[in-house]
Amino acid sequence: MNPMNQAKQPVTVLAGRYGHPLHPALVAVPIGAWVASFVFDIASHLVSDPGFLAQGSRWLIAVGVLGALAAALVGFLDLFAIPPGTRAFRIGLLHMSINLAVTVAYAIGFLIRDGAGRGPVSWGQLALSAVALAALGVSGYLGGELAYHYGVRVADEATQARGYIREEKV
Amino acid sequence: MAIAALITWVITAIGGFVMLGTWISRGGHRPGSDTRLAPGLVFTHFALAAIGLVLWIVYVVVHNTVLAWVAFVLLVPAALLGFAMLARWIPARRTGTVESRFPVPVVIGHGLFAATTLVLALLAALGMGGS
Repeated sequence: MNPMNQAKQPVTVLAGRYGHPLHPALVAVPIGAWVASFVFDIASHLVSDPGFLAQGSRWLIAVGVLGALAAALVGFLDLFAIPPGTRAFRIGLLHMSINLAVTVAYAIGFLIRDGAGRGPVSWGQLALSAVALAALGVSGYLGGELAYHYGVRVADEATQARGYIREEKV
Repeated sequence: MAIAALITWVITAIGGFVMLGTWISRGGHRPGSDTRLAPGLVFTHFALAAIGLVLWIVYVVVHNTVLAWVAFVLLVPAALLGFAMLARWIPARRTGTVESRFPVPVVIGHGLFAATTLVLALLAALGMGGS
């Protein structure tokens, strides 16, 4: 099997069937939760009783960390599908490293927000989330490059072409 | 105790990833490979231990004993599968199969840290040694 087709195949059905990778589906959870957490952080400075937003934001960080860990489990399997020593593998390693760092940053964010009370989210905590979210954007771009540019875990073109055969009306 | 188990668990996981990466990058998961480790065995072990680790992380934060027990219960079959793989790896060590490329210290370290994790997790679930 050539190296490119190797990266298109799941290493196990745990990573999702051929053409249906689980990793990109699961990453929606941390991305959504952490973006919403950031919106809550900012909103906590705009409303008169910010406590519920600060506490909700901390919950969203936790949801995001758990989602990120689940996404990481299948992400590792997709990384191993890419032949080592290739540009795609190098991008995959960078994508993984940034994501792990972001997840650690959010885990720290969760811990230092212990006892989120009635006040708004502190500027320091908000800045940590902003930096982590920006890094998440960078690694998301790299993830997009792996999928849309290099076709990692994307079905091959012969399979894709089958979706474009005009069907006869009955 | 829970934190100590978390630390040994993570170290065990890193060793596991090294071996899993070696095994997959050399095609151990593909049909026709000369590996003696069945893919079902490898990936079930990976999934049980990894899900257990995630649950343990949640337990460390929220201190819910039920979570600790669920994580420990997942760890027991993971350990049994690990022993099954060790039993297949030992004779395969000098045969040139995919798994014979595993560095011996990584295999030994993975096993020792895994056994330590199992004991620490049990003690933590039983409520010994605080958190």
